[in-house]
Amino acid sequence: MAVKLTHTRDASSWRERVLAFSPGRFGSEQGESRLQKWAFLIPALFMILFFALPMALTVVWSVFERTRFWMQPGFTLLAYENFFNSARIDSFLHSMIHSAIAVVISFVMGFPIAVFVRRRIPTTAQHQVILLFLLPFMISELIRVFSLRPVLGRYGLVNAVLERFYMVGKALINWSYGGIWGQGEVLITAKFEPVSIILYTNVGVIIGEVLSFLPFMVFAGFLAMEAIQEYVFELCDDLGSGTLRTFFDIVVPLAAPGIFAGAVFIFVNGLGGALIPDILGGPGAVNAGLLVLGSITALDFPLAMAISAIMLATLVLLLYIGHRLFDLTKILEPIR
Amino acid sequence: MNERQFTRRLFLHSMAGVAAAAAVGRIPEAHAAEALRFWAPGIAKVGAKDFSAMEAQAGISIANTAKSARADEAIQKMVVGDGQKLFDALTDNGGGMEDALASQNTIVPLDTSKIPNWANILPFYRDGGSAAHTLRYQGKVYGIPYISNADSLAYNYDELGFHPDSWAYLFDSQFKGRVALQNDFGPTLTNTAIYLKQSGKQEIADPSNMTPSEVKGVCQFLIDMKKKGQFRTFWNGFSNGLSLFTSREVVMASCWEPIAIVATKKGVNVHYGTMKEGHQVWNNVVMLTKGGKRRGMEDAYYKLANVYLSPWFGARTLQTFGFAPQMEGVADYMAANPNDFDAATRQRLSELMTRKQARLAVKGNAWQNVYPKEYRAYTDWWARLQAA
Repeated sequence: MAVKLTHTRDASSWRERVLAFSPGRFGSEQGESRLQKWAFLIPALFMILFFALPMALTVVWSVFERTRFWMQPGFTLLAYENFFNSARIDSFLHSMIHSAIAVVISFVMGFPIAVFVRRRIPTTAQHQVILLFLLPFMISELIRVFSLRPVLGRYGLVNAVLERFYMVGKALINWSYGGIWGQGEVLITAKFEPVSIILYTNVGVIIGEVLSFLPFMVFAGFLAMEAIQEYVFELCDDLGSGTLRTFFDIVVPLAAPGIFAGAVFIFVNGLGGALIPDILGGPGAVNAGLLVLGSITALDFPLAMAISAIMLATLVLLLYIGHRLFDLTKILEPIR
Repeated sequence: MNERQFTRRLFLHSMAGVAAAAAVGRIPEAHAAEALRFWAPGIAKVGAKDFSAMEAQAGISIANTAKSARADEAIQKMVVGDGQKLFDALTDNGGGMEDALASQNTIVPLDTSKIPNWANILPFYRDGGSAAHTLRYQGKVYGIPYISNADSLAYNYDELGFHPDSWAYLFDSQFKGRVALQNDFGPTLTNTAIYLKQSGKQEIADPSNMTPSEVKGVCQFLIDMKKKGQFRTFWNGFSNGLSLFTSREVVMASCWEPIAIVATKKGVNVHYGTMKEGHQVWNNVVMLTKGGKRRGMEDAYYKLANVYLSPWFGARTLQTFGFAPQMEGVADYMAANPNDFDAATRQRLSELMTRKQARLAVKGNAWQNVYPKEYRAYTDWWARLQAA
């Protein structure tokens, strides 16, 4: 049977055109079903090639034997022993704690923003407002993180503002003490001492992580809020539930899967991203990402693979816990 | 099984599909390019923004690929990657790397008789000289030096009001929280070891090649300092190091000399001192790859190497980057070319050279060794310092 290809607008759908192109093979219901089957195999193949296989190779290579410049096939747990019996495990755990703190702060700051946008901004403008949070991502992460240095530094913007407040406060107190109470002397003579804890410290790393990853919580929170139907809020209002009670007893539990998804994004980025501790961290600050980088620099590839495998296991464990607690398959499912 | 065999097994057996796909698009080795394919950083060129001035001096064409400062990246590319196919010549990333590459048969020994300017090379590079080992592997020359320096302490004179002449100031509690170290265990542990050894605080035989117990002693000293809050941060990369001075975050740091030079140009009064205990001394060399020789690029390489040992290059690398020339006759060359080097420039460069020579002459200096024998001890103790 001859096939005639047309480019007319009434060629109804992509599927029909594909079927028309290959009538001998896919023209029947059976053929259509086969096409669908293959179409689904493409993403599966992609996932296997670019996700499952590299992850499997990471685990396999982590038990290979290290040579001077590379590694050779074998089975040894030396890399894991090297990780767990060294200070690297301490750095790994510390970076987990810092990332967890960044998650909590991002939730406290980001989720109310998501709720506000969902509840208070007109529906037609909500997505535009949310997209504004994408703007920082248009700038290189390196620039974004590096630009925090002149803000948080010893002579940076934050300290400049604090110094102004200090000077004004000092003048006011000294004026009150000397003038009003007639003591004739100044009470505060100390010079302003810049706050140094906000840069080149773990606090600096957490600030960097929150400012870099906050949009993840806003996006995830907003998507989770979209799944909550309007009548839920109306019902709360009708029943006289206050704002705080509605937030903590209704909104947070219903949006929990979305919040968890945002939290995982932030946690994983905080754990694995090498840039922030490198630029904002204190002496020798490292997280899991920098541990991997350091291992590669030292040409210890099995160790780098082992740390990556441990990160992978951590993520899988987190997702498992999240799934058991919140049923992650229902993240975007409308709540009825 | 060596690294090359493993690489083949890895990519031909385990990932046959990927290897096959890569093979389809691989660079045909038989077609030697006319230009010397040179893997080198920007500091390997002078006279122009690109390699054109170097090409004119050498009388060859150069196809440059920018190279990072990471030794591991270069080692991987040359030993287990496609570096042999891609590059005819390359620079190293510090002392000891040429040994590593030569031991893996990725670079070839050189015939110095084909380099006329070899006669100009600084005496300590010649056979039996104190730096002869930095160019040689098993007695054969594998690299031609093009820059060198002695890493020292940079300091903000306006903040300090004096010129420190000892590493002791870096660890002095009066500067607590206002000093920084380089985030690289090589120079940081070596310079600290030099300080501890020369000040009699620790017995260390060779600061460039410490035993595990010596590494432990040096790192425990730094861990103690870190816990007391002595260090503001460990800087990583040129921009990070520079910003510590331009933002006045620190008053002194162990760092690279170009950072001090650029910080001064940006209006901060940063000096680069000479430490009485000594410094980590390093050089960078240019090497000919085995693939480059096979492709017949040997002559082009020797022409380029000859430029690197010419006073023309030495005077310009000193002027442009502040790196020490690797040959004799630079002052005479500058005096003979007043159009390129006026009296004021000659005076400035002469003072710079004098300071460099003073640093290089310190008895306690130790040559850089990017792959010390007890490398594992270095990395493990560095991890402890990071976690402390």
